[in-house]
Amino acid sequence: MRPITRLADRWPNVPTAAGLMALLLLAIGLAVIFQNEGAYREQKLREASVQADILAASVTAALDFGDAAAAQEAVDALKVNPQINAAGIYTPERTLFAGFERRPGALPRTLGARPDIANDVEAAVPVVRGGERIGAVYLGAVQEPLSRRLTRYGYIGLLVLMATLVALVLGIAHTALRRANRELEERALALSGAYAELQVQVEERTHAEEQLRQAQKMQALGQLTGGIAHDFNNLLTVIQGSADILRRPGIAEAKRIRFAEAIVQTAGRAAALTGQLLAFARRQPLKPEVIDLNAHISGMTDLLDRTLGERVEIRTDLAEGLCAIEADPAQLESAILNIAVNARDAMPEGGALTLHTGEAPPLADGRPAIFVAVSDNGTGIEEEVLGRIFEPFFTTKSVGKGTGLGLSQVYGFAAQTGGDVQVESVVGEGTTVTLILPCSEGGGAPVERPEPGAERKHRTGRILLVDDNEEVGAFAETLLAELGHRVMRARTGAEALEMARTGGFDAVFTDVVMPGMSGIELADALGPVLPGIPVVLTTGYSDEITRAGGAGRPVVFKPYRLETLAGVLDEVLAPRAAQ
Amino acid sequence: MAWPHAPRPRRLLRLLPAALAMLASPAPAAAPPSDVAVKAAFLTKFPAYVDWPAAARPRPGAPVQICILGGDPFGRLIDEAARGQQVDGHPLQVRRLSAPGQAAGCHVAFVQGSAPALLQGLQGKPMLTVTDARGGAQAGMIHFVIHQGRVRFNIDEALAAKSGVAISSRLLRIALAVRQRP
Repeated sequence: MRPITRLADRWPNVPTAAGLMALLLLAIGLAVIFQNEGAYREQKLREASVQADILAASVTAALDFGDAAAAQEAVDALKVNPQINAAGIYTPERTLFAGFERRPGALPRTLGARPDIANDVEAAVPVVRGGERIGAVYLGAVQEPLSRRLTRYGYIGLLVLMATLVALVLGIAHTALRRANRELEERALALSGAYAELQVQVEERTHAEEQLRQAQKMQALGQLTGGIAHDFNNLLTVIQGSADILRRPGIAEAKRIRFAEAIVQTAGRAAALTGQLLAFARRQPLKPEVIDLNAHISGMTDLLDRTLGERVEIRTDLAEGLCAIEADPAQLESAILNIAVNARDAMPEGGALTLHTGEAPPLADGRPAIFVAVSDNGTGIEEEVLGRIFEPFFTTKSVGKGTGLGLSQVYGFAAQTGGDVQVESVVGEGTTVTLILPCSEGGGAPVERPEPGAERKHRTGRILLVDDNEEVGAFAETLLAELGHRVMRARTGAEALEMARTGGFDAVFTDVVMPGMSGIELADALGPVLPGIPVVLTTGYSDEITRAGGAGRPVVFKPYRLETLAGVLDEVLAPRAAQ
Repeated sequence: MAWPHAPRPRRLLRLLPAALAMLASPAPAAAPPSDVAVKAAFLTKFPAYVDWPAAARPRPGAPVQICILGGDPFGRLIDEAARGQQVDGHPLQVRRLSAPGQAAGCHVAFVQGSAPALLQGLQGKPMLTVTDARGGAQAGMIHFVIHQGRVRFNIDEALAAKSGVAISSRLLRIALAVRQRP
C-alpha cells in the first residue's frame, strides 16, 4: 500500500485513462493466454480421441479373437507419435489386453483406474463390433512441455507488457508535458509582468535623469552667471571710473592717456572673457583648426583662475617648439576646463593645478604627437573607480554637484581628434590626466589672425551703416566718421534698402541680429539693388553666423577695436579704389 | 466417452494369457479354456467379419445359421458360445447336419472329418466353410490350426471369393496365413 501511495504522490496526475488502458491490456493478454491454453488442451483431447478411435477400429478383430500379438502390433504403431505417452487395449472386463507405456506406470492396469503417472490428456473409447462392445482403448498423451508453452506465452506476455508500458509511459509523458506547458505559461506571464514593470521603471528613471540634468544645468548656469557678473562688475568698475575721471575738465594730458589706456585694456579683457565663455558654450563654429596648444593654454589661464577659485593655484610648464595640432579649439578648451574642474573638486582644501605640455612618444600609427598633462595634488582616484571615470553619467559627486559628462567629453574629444587620454592616480597624492594629441598633418605654423598692418593705407568711402541699437549705432557712426568715412545710418533693414536705392554707397556695414530683416537677409536683398557692393557683417553673437558663417562676407565680431574695423573696411574698399 | 471408473483393481489378471482366457470363455474360470472351447467361440465370432452375397444374407430378424457337418466336436460348448451373441441384430443359431444337402440356409458351415465329399458338396455355395486341421488336411475358407500352442487359423480368400463370400480385412490381419484372391 505504501509504495503505491508513494507512486501516486510522485505521479499524481497520471491520467486514469492510461491506467485503465494498461489494466485492460493486461486483462486482454491474460484472457488470450487462458483461451489459448484451453484451446490447446481441447485440441490435444480431440487428437487423442481420434487416435483412440482409429486404434479401436484396427484392433477389433484382434480383441475379438484374443490375438494379443496382433493387438500389440497395432498399439505399437502409435509409438512413432512422441506425444502419446501410453496406449492400452482392454477387454470387456476392463483388464489390460495389450499396450505400451513410455514410462512405467503411465498405463493404467485396469481401465478406469488412475495411472501411477498422470497423463496430461486422456481418451478412452469402446471397441465395438456389430453394435456390441467387446473392449476398450485407452490413450494417454502428454502436452507440449510446460517450458515450451511458457516460452510461447512469454512472447504474448512480453508483448502485452510492452504495450502496457507504452500506454503508461505515454500517459506519464502527456502529464509531464501538460505540467511543463502550464509552468511555461506561468513563467511567460510572470516574465511579461516583469517586463512591463521594468519598462515603467526605465521610463521613470529616464524621466528622473532628465530632471536631474535639467536641474544641474540650471545650477551650473547659476554659478556661471554669478561668476560672470562678478568679473564683469570688476571690469566695469575700472572702465566706469576711468571714464568718470576723463570727463572731469582740465585734466592733464598724461593722466588722460593713462586712464584711456586703462579703459582700452580693461575692455580688451572683458572681450576676451566673453570670447572664452562662448568657446566654453561651444558656440564657436565646430571646425578643427590648426592651433598652437601652448598659446591656447596660456589664453585659458584667466578663465581657469576664475573657474577654479582662489584656493587653487595654477601653474604652467609649457615646452618650447611644439608642433601645431589640428583640433576644435572650443572643444580643447572645454576638455581642459572639464579636467580642471574635476581637479579642483579633488582638492577641497585647495592645492596646485599644473598644466604641463611636451612632446609625446609617437602614436600607434606612427604620427608624432604632443601632450598636455593636467595634474593636481588632491585626493586621487580609487582603483575601482579609475576604470569608469570616462563613462558617461558616471560620477562620484553628490547629487547636483556633477553631471558625469565632463570626463566623457574629454575622452570623446581625444578620440575625435585622433589622440588619446591617460589617467594616472595615487590615492592621497593626486591625479594626472594626460591628453595626447597628434601633430597637424600640414606641420605648418598655426594660422594667425592677420593683425591690422601699420603700413596699410587708409581708404575712405561712403558707408551705409545699419544698426537697430541706438548707442552702438551712434558709437559706430562716430568711429566710422573718425576714420574719415562718410556715413549714412539706417535703423532697420527696410530703411537701409530704401536708402540704398538712392545709390552712391561704397560699402554696407550692418548688424546681423535685428528685428524684422536680419543683416544676412539685408545683404541678400541688396544684391539686385546695388550689385557688387561689399557688405560687412557685425555681431556680438549670432547662431546663424556660428553655424553657417557669413557666406563669404567679412564678419567683425563685437566688441571690435578701431584698428580691426579700419582694416576690414580698407580690405573691402580696396578693389573699388583700384577700379 | 470415458468409461466409469472401475473401483476394483484386478491384479491377478494382469497377464495377457489370462486376459485371453477370459475372452475365450465368458465365464470366469481358474483353468485355461480348451482348444475346442476356443474354436467354438471363434466359430461364433466369424459371422461379424463376413459378408455374404445379397441373396444369402440373413433376412431381418432371421438368425445367422452356424451349421456343423460330419460330427460335432463341440457339444454344449458351441451352444453356450452362441447363446446371447448377436451379429448386426441377428441372433445365432447352431444347426447340426448330417448331410451337405441339408446345408441350405447355412451361413457358416463347420466341416469335421476327413471326408472330402462333404466339403466338395458345399463348394460354390454362398457360405463360409470352416475346417479344422485336426480333422484332416482338407481346408475350407477358414482352417483352424494350432500354432505355438494357440488356436490360430488360415484364410483362403480365393476360395471364399469363388463362393461370393467376402472376408473382412480386419479378420485377414489376424489370420496366421492368407491365400489371397488372384
